[in-house]
Amino acid sequence: MSAAAARPLVTVQSLESDMATDGAAANSVPLPDVMRAAIRPDIVTFVHGQISKNARQPYAVSNRAGHQTSAESWGTGRAVSRIPRVAGGGTHRAGQGAFGNMCRGGRMFAPTKIWRRWHRQVNVTQKRHAVVSAIAASAVPSLVLARGHKIEEVPELPLVVSDAAEAVEKTSAALKVLKQIGAHPDAEKAKDSQAIRAGKGKARNRRYVSRKGPLVVYGNEGAKLVKAFRNIPGVEIAHVSRLNLLKLAPGGHLGRFVIWTKYAFEKLDSIYGTFDKVSEKKNGYVLPRAKMINADLARIINSDEVQSVVKPIKKEVKKAPLKKNPLKNLNVMLKLNPYAKAAKRMALLAEAQRVKAKQDKLDKKRKPITKIITYFCCLSMHLRFWVYLYFIGSLLLVSQSRASLMQPGWKLPCPVYLSHSVICLLQEEASAINSASKSWYKTMISDSDYTEFENFTKWLGASQ
Amino acid sequence: MSTVPGQLIWEIVKKNNSFLVKEFGNGTASVKFSKEPNNLYNIHSFKHSGLANKKTVTIQPGKDQTVVLATTKTKKQNKPSTLLNKSVMKKEFHRMAKAVSNQVCDNYYRPDLKKAALARLSVVHRSLKVAKSGAKKRNRQSS
Repeated sequence: MSAAAARPLVTVQSLESDMATDGAAANSVPLPDVMRAAIRPDIVTFVHGQISKNARQPYAVSNRAGHQTSAESWGTGRAVSRIPRVAGGGTHRAGQGAFGNMCRGGRMFAPTKIWRRWHRQVNVTQKRHAVVSAIAASAVPSLVLARGHKIEEVPELPLVVSDAAEAVEKTSAALKVLKQIGAHPDAEKAKDSQAIRAGKGKARNRRYVSRKGPLVVYGNEGAKLVKAFRNIPGVEIAHVSRLNLLKLAPGGHLGRFVIWTKYAFEKLDSIYGTFDKVSEKKNGYVLPRAKMINADLARIINSDEVQSVVKPIKKEVKKAPLKKNPLKNLNVMLKLNPYAKAAKRMALLAEAQRVKAKQDKLDKKRKPITKIITYFCCLSMHLRFWVYLYFIGSLLLVSQSRASLMQPGWKLPCPVYLSHSVICLLQEEASAINSASKSWYKTMISDSDYTEFENFTKWLGASQ
Repeated sequence: MSTVPGQLIWEIVKKNNSFLVKEFGNGTASVKFSKEPNNLYNIHSFKHSGLANKKTVTIQPGKDQTVVLATTKTKKQNKPSTLLNKSVMKKEFHRMAKAVSNQVCDNYYRPDLKKAALARLSVVHRSLKVAKSGAKKRNRQSS
């Protein structure tokens, strides 16, 4: 709020007893700056809490309570506990425990003392700030409604009544005034709410409770209005120069419904000052300033000055994609390293080649020996037997010594005379078989080679 | 009138006010309702609050099966008696719904409250219907 700005006008509600005035302009008062002060519920709660302790009366237990005996402990050895016991005899009291907080008739733990700190000091500026906040809050309809006052029929807030109200003498007239200005529902609410207090307070001279109604603030000392309004349930009165926080913010809650008389309203400016002017009545006091002059956040955010500099709204929220492992996921790997495809391809081919080469090498070593089988088949059964025998014999010989191999004239005692070439052939075959079998044996390296039946069939050249 | 801005009012009012109702749940985890007349969902929140907003919409049952639609005037914030633009409606439901949505969103008054307003309208309307015919209690047990 700019300090020098035009102050909004508050219309004064006229009562029946008013003399007819010229125009609406005469019936309005500018809003005092107090009503525009910062509203600080935190300060109000704090100050209210402190101030409400100031009306307390001390309470305490009697000084001598529990000690009006000459009790002494019996000590040990008497089969009783060691607390001090009342001396003497002839009465119930004799021998009973005394002095302790656990004893019947003893003094309490930490007897309450009257020199407890009952009252609280509050800084003057803080107290004034609280009052100022409370007055400002009383001008906001939302806050007054929130506090629970019935102000639906009130023509305007803050509610200012013409000075004729100060001259009201009779309570019945006062009620009429309230009705005219729309404050009656609130007073009625207070009247209807009268009830007996819950709890022990009812037996302690605090029997009834009721809600708070409007607070009537007047400006002239000794106005008759005090006597007229004070008997209406719920209604309270106050003079402008003596506004009480406990009345302006009952319970520490801002927003009491306040009815001002015109005179009182006009005095507010001089009592509290304005934002520029120092108060007349309060020495050197200026109204407190708010932290934010313009607290309307929505308006600020939507203003041109802010919106023109602000970045546009992000409609699409970019979400980070799930990280995938390039070592497992080929496409992600390619994104990182395109050469990986070619490298992998080459590796695969090389591997295939290697496998093939190895297999070829093995196959060569495991070469099946075909000649003897075909030749074998040509011979007759009889012959086959002998050839077979000879074959085995030569194999055995060969396994023992290679030297004896080269003896073509070596003969077996056999009825059929095997031809020389056959014998040579047989011996060649035997040596071939030997070397083949040796090299085959060398290729069987691991256990798995033995489990593979194929390796055996290859060697033997056997086929079903 | 120096309008105390809605946000500020909300900060003051949100913790405690006479319309606040805390029900259900345990301890701090209770649902917060609000009994103000200007609250469409009766939920205690800034958007729905009838206290903290300059523009509010309210739909209440009136006398004799009428529905009262009222909106607050933005210029008369500190004059509680003349604050509301009231209109009493006694039309059939569809007409009323059209009127409500016209008032609330078509003239950009509070378009974010459109759903709430229509919802409340139908509930209020239904409650009036029951009262009217004295609750048609069809005995479904006897065939």
